[in-house]
Amino acid sequence: MAYDSDLSFNYFGPTKIVFGANAVRDVDIEMGTLGGTRAVVVTDQGIIKAGLVDGITACLGGRCAGVFSDVPQDTGVEVVNAGAEFARKNGADIVVSVGGGSVIDTAKGMCILLTEGGTLRDFNGVQLLSRPQTPHMVIPTTAGTGSEVTNAAVIMDKEMGQKRLLVENFNVPRMAILDPKMTEKLPPLLTASTGMDAMTHAVEAVHSIPHEPLTDGLALHAIRLLYKYLPVCVENGSDLHARGQVQIAATMAGWAFGNAMVGIVHAMAHSIGAVAHVPHGIANGILLPDCMEFNLEDAADGYAMVAEAMGVREKGMDDSDAAQAAIRAMREFIRKIGHPQKLSEMGVSGKDIEKAADMSLSDGSIVNNPRIVMDPAEVLEIFQKNM
Amino acid sequence: MPIKAMTQEWMDAYKAAIQADPDYKSIAKDWEGSVSLVVNPEPARNVPEPIYLFMDYWHGDVGDFVVCDKEKADSAKFVMTGDYARWKQVAYKELDATKALLQGKLKMKGDLPYVVRNIKTVNKVIDILGKVDTLWPDGNK
Repeated sequence: MAYDSDLSFNYFGPTKIVFGANAVRDVDIEMGTLGGTRAVVVTDQGIIKAGLVDGITACLGGRCAGVFSDVPQDTGVEVVNAGAEFARKNGADIVVSVGGGSVIDTAKGMCILLTEGGTLRDFNGVQLLSRPQTPHMVIPTTAGTGSEVTNAAVIMDKEMGQKRLLVENFNVPRMAILDPKMTEKLPPLLTASTGMDAMTHAVEAVHSIPHEPLTDGLALHAIRLLYKYLPVCVENGSDLHARGQVQIAATMAGWAFGNAMVGIVHAMAHSIGAVAHVPHGIANGILLPDCMEFNLEDAADGYAMVAEAMGVREKGMDDSDAAQAAIRAMREFIRKIGHPQKLSEMGVSGKDIEKAADMSLSDGSIVNNPRIVMDPAEVLEIFQKNM
Repeated sequence: MPIKAMTQEWMDAYKAAIQADPDYKSIAKDWEGSVSLVVNPEPARNVPEPIYLFMDYWHGDVGDFVVCDKEKADSAKFVMTGDYARWKQVAYKELDATKALLQGKLKMKGDLPYVVRNIKTVNKVIDILGKVDTLWPDGNK
């Protein structure tokens, strides 16, 4: 992979990572390093039922300001407003999120409101903040979103009928505690789909227009780790070594796409998620190989690196051959981990994909795709291949 | 004869350049709403005070293009803010406006998906901006 001689980029990744089995036991000590004295724990009912919060609140002891657990699968403006009000009433000065993407994004929104006041509808734009926000520690319970290290959050605004995208460098989580035990009980399908979310972040970071050497390095190692360890996690969820490697991969992919951005796969996954409620990781996983095929001519050199990371580039292959080997290997990988293969399996209809194809063109991710996409018919064709 | 950047004369020239562009009308047919550019002061580059520029775009037509006060700038559908040096980079196409937003080099109040949906319009007006014969406060490259 060659880079332009006038290459220039910004890389931003300020989150401290604490990794290890039982690392969550240090939550109180680590909270102190961020200057926090009273933590509100943000989570959802599923995480509470799984017993993943008790140990954390026990470690926090008297420094736990309360647990806000009313976070639904797709968080919304009202949830964030209520969470911030709860934290404010209980005197919290730090937010600890325990969960997946929806929980983490809720906490990101809360951090803004705790510092700036008002409600989330007061913040409609990009990079509007001009000072650091309330400290946020993330304890992920899935390995996929990468949200623990990114500056973005997606919050549904039902009243306006649209998702709000918050992009704020001043609101990146300060710390993430990656504890493999927190993902140990994740069932195989969720392990596979969240893992494919991470894989898609990594591949899209490689093919995106703003990719650069730092993000490539992170993304390609994430692909190596996911390719090796995700099948192990699906097969045997209690393999903590494999769980840890996949967590690390998801975080590395998060840094990669948080800087290099994502492309058409995410534009399509966001859209079909909005239209037909297909879970984000599953949509990404289903669409990834055909989107790679779509981009092949414009991203062959990047996919050749993906092939190397997957160990499927053979001697004598040129970039195009290697890129096609990567696509074949990705299809096989998705089958191997028991991931859904078609959108129709998720109840998606022909009308849904027509609407989603149109919506994909107004998704922010599409502008970073290596192949310029201006016609919804091109997107629809990819959707149709996956029905 | 170059025109001093971010003055009313320059705004008039920019508006005229947009109106004269053969492709603008069709590319911008879906865009509706005003855009303000807020230029943060940089005394070292001869921009001692903030500058507020208001531009009204409507389905391929253009309305008010004025140097204005903060209040009028804040009334626009989209308010984009950045340091003078960043705006100059945008004009010279050294900095992609969308990338600059995501990296925090520019700030934007307004609906990002709308901007993305109309990215061809955004790119077109930046293209035209680069063609206006401009004298920058800290000199031209």
